[in-house]
Amino acid sequence: MQIKNIAITPSPHVRSSVSTRRLMQEVCLALAPAGIASVILFGAPAAVIIAASVITCVLAEYLYQRLMKQKVTVGDWSAVVTGLLLAYNIPAGAPVWIPIVGGIFAIIIVKQLFGGIGSNFMNPALTARAVLFVSWNAIMIKYPQTVFLAKGRVGLDAVSGATPLAELGKVFTGAEGASLSNVSLLDLLLGNCAGVLGETCKIALILGGVYLIVRKVIDWRIPVSMIGTVAVMYLLTSGFNLGLTARELLSGGLMLGAFFMATDYCTSPQTNKGRLIFGAGCGLLLFVIRAYASYPEGCSFAILFMNVCTPLIDRWTAPRYFGEVRKHG
Amino acid sequence: MNTFLVILIGQILINNYVMCQFYGICPFLGVSKKVDTALGMGMAVTFVITLASFITWLVQNFILVPLELEYLQTIAFILVIAVLVQVVENALKKLSPSLYQALGVYLPLITTNCVVLAVAQKNVTEGAIMDGQTLGLLASTFCGFCAAIGFTLALVLLAGIRERMEQSNMPKWMEGFPGALIMAGLMAIAFMGFGGLLQGLHLVG
Amino acid sequence: MADRKNTVTRTFLNGLITENPTFTLMLGMCPTLGVTTAASNGIGMGLATTFVLVCSNLFISLLRKIIPDKVRIPAYIVIIASFVTMVDLFMKAYLPDLSKSLGSYIPLIVVNCIIFARAESFAAKNGPVQSLADGLGMGLGFTASITLLSIVRELFGSGTIFGAQIMPESYQPMDIMNKVPGGFITLGLMMILVNAIKKIIGKRRAARKEALA
Repeated sequence: MQIKNIAITPSPHVRSSVSTRRLMQEVCLALAPAGIASVILFGAPAAVIIAASVITCVLAEYLYQRLMKQKVTVGDWSAVVTGLLLAYNIPAGAPVWIPIVGGIFAIIIVKQLFGGIGSNFMNPALTARAVLFVSWNAIMIKYPQTVFLAKGRVGLDAVSGATPLAELGKVFTGAEGASLSNVSLLDLLLGNCAGVLGETCKIALILGGVYLIVRKVIDWRIPVSMIGTVAVMYLLTSGFNLGLTARELLSGGLMLGAFFMATDYCTSPQTNKGRLIFGAGCGLLLFVIRAYASYPEGCSFAILFMNVCTPLIDRWTAPRYFGEVRKHG
Repeated sequence: MNTFLVILIGQILINNYVMCQFYGICPFLGVSKKVDTALGMGMAVTFVITLASFITWLVQNFILVPLELEYLQTIAFILVIAVLVQVVENALKKLSPSLYQALGVYLPLITTNCVVLAVAQKNVTEGAIMDGQTLGLLASTFCGFCAAIGFTLALVLLAGIRERMEQSNMPKWMEGFPGALIMAGLMAIAFMGFGGLLQGLHLVG
Repeated sequence: MADRKNTVTRTFLNGLITENPTFTLMLGMCPTLGVTTAASNGIGMGLATTFVLVCSNLFISLLRKIIPDKVRIPAYIVIIASFVTMVDLFMKAYLPDLSKSLGSYIPLIVVNCIIFARAESFAAKNGPVQSLADGLGMGLGFTASITLLSIVRELFGSGTIFGAQIMPESYQPMDIMNKVPGGFITLGLMMILVNAIKKIIGKRRAARKEALA
């Protein structure tokens, strides 16, 4: 197993020709549409968060490596990707220190302490997001409405709207007064709904994700099995309610998580079978947390939990350990 | 049935003794260097905790409570556990040498694994698992079993990560306990997502 | 040859600093992490453990020639458990608030591996005075390190130390410090720091020795 090389070997067929830097630049490119969309949707506050997050991540990596007298690797763009992903998981209008604290945690504690790129076992941006979410819950769930929804009202901060997920949750449990017609599919696709800044515009995310798959930067297995599992679970539990299922797929952080965060090379399995299991696990946990647990969105926790399981999935899907799965039920 | 589902999900995911409550940290950090040893330790712990839960429940309800000696609970329980570990060790040695070879080295360590005592005490406390409910013998035993499975899960997951980290370029000063502690902390973050799951499933009030 | 008094002091300091149970021996992790969300809890837990450690070390040392080797583990456990029960009942009666916030960790002092490890590796082999010094040193070393950990966690998790506001009013407490991940990560980082300091001191000492030579 060439664990040290995972950062630059996403799948066997592209191994030789690519460098980490090019891959990371591709990811940044794929993330760009969602970022632009967020600035259009939420205005200047979104741009502030993105800038603060990216600058903090790059700076933290640079300073840490200088301080530790290591080779400075900020040129590989991986800190930029972490910064973007972290920013996309923060609601627009959050105070600036939120992305700063998150960025430092992501880069120093989750990534660099374990040896830098390719060595971390949990996704830095997601872990930082979870830390922020648990520590300053009130700030992290204060989702502003988009500029278009808030039109005619006083300002961005004046309304913190209910997310489509909350409404869908009510439909799912059959609460009174909840209806699918309150959640427009078109709004979900365009991102005209409340949520953290980078997850709302689904068109941009799907576009970026498909681009990455086509360019073979990421493997299709994880996003497909993850989204597929969520779809199947909602279809089964809602009595094949297509409208609800489609809306669930297009709300919350599922698209952002499935394409950009679950596919992180060093925190997802290396075997094809392992990737399918990983994606399905993410989807199943996401469904369970979203539908039943106290946190409104399960995407980050689902992926983090599967990150933790990744070494074992790798171990037990690698051919030479075949059959050992049964030992541990 | 409901009780058993609450116990299963609660003990393994939501209130995992290691990841959510800080019990059994010493063996968790000490025996998690290799996945195989972690599995062995997990099985030995599961065996002992399940048996201990069964016996301590009997001790509590048929000896301590009738004699009004509840304040001696800690002494009585730890004695039961220590003797049990000794008996299991001797029995295994005689009855199943192969199993003894696999689990034997871990057994003496289990006496001081606080999960065993913590589970035994929780089992006989009113409202510890479900509000206003005291567990029966079967539920107590099952509770012990699930707690042990939760312990094993955490142990094996950490072992998997530590094995992988050995092949990464982790700095020297992270090796051993400091690294394991930070890994455990990050793992615990992943376990936080299950909060409120039981209420959501309408299993507890 | 060092005189008797000197070795007792050395044993005491050994437990307090050189072989600090938390940072060097890595023993007794559960209470170390479980109760350290407030500085007062850290001190309370530390002192309760110290009491049990001192008493059990003394008793086991006194009885070390009487207890047969084969049943020593159950015997130690009974001795330790008796003192723990005393502490538990005492705290319930006189310090009900502290007892409540330390919760089930008080009875669990029984299985705190520091106590067991010291009984087995020190008290069973040394005289009562030495064992007393070892228990006191180890206990206070444990108290010092978990108080330090709880001060850090309380400072960031609540903005206070011993309940007194330290952080400015505008500080928003970092709630994760009060939860399990915060405990693990803080202790891990502190351990890295302690190891680094130790290394620097060791290097200095070596350099000084070299300079003298």
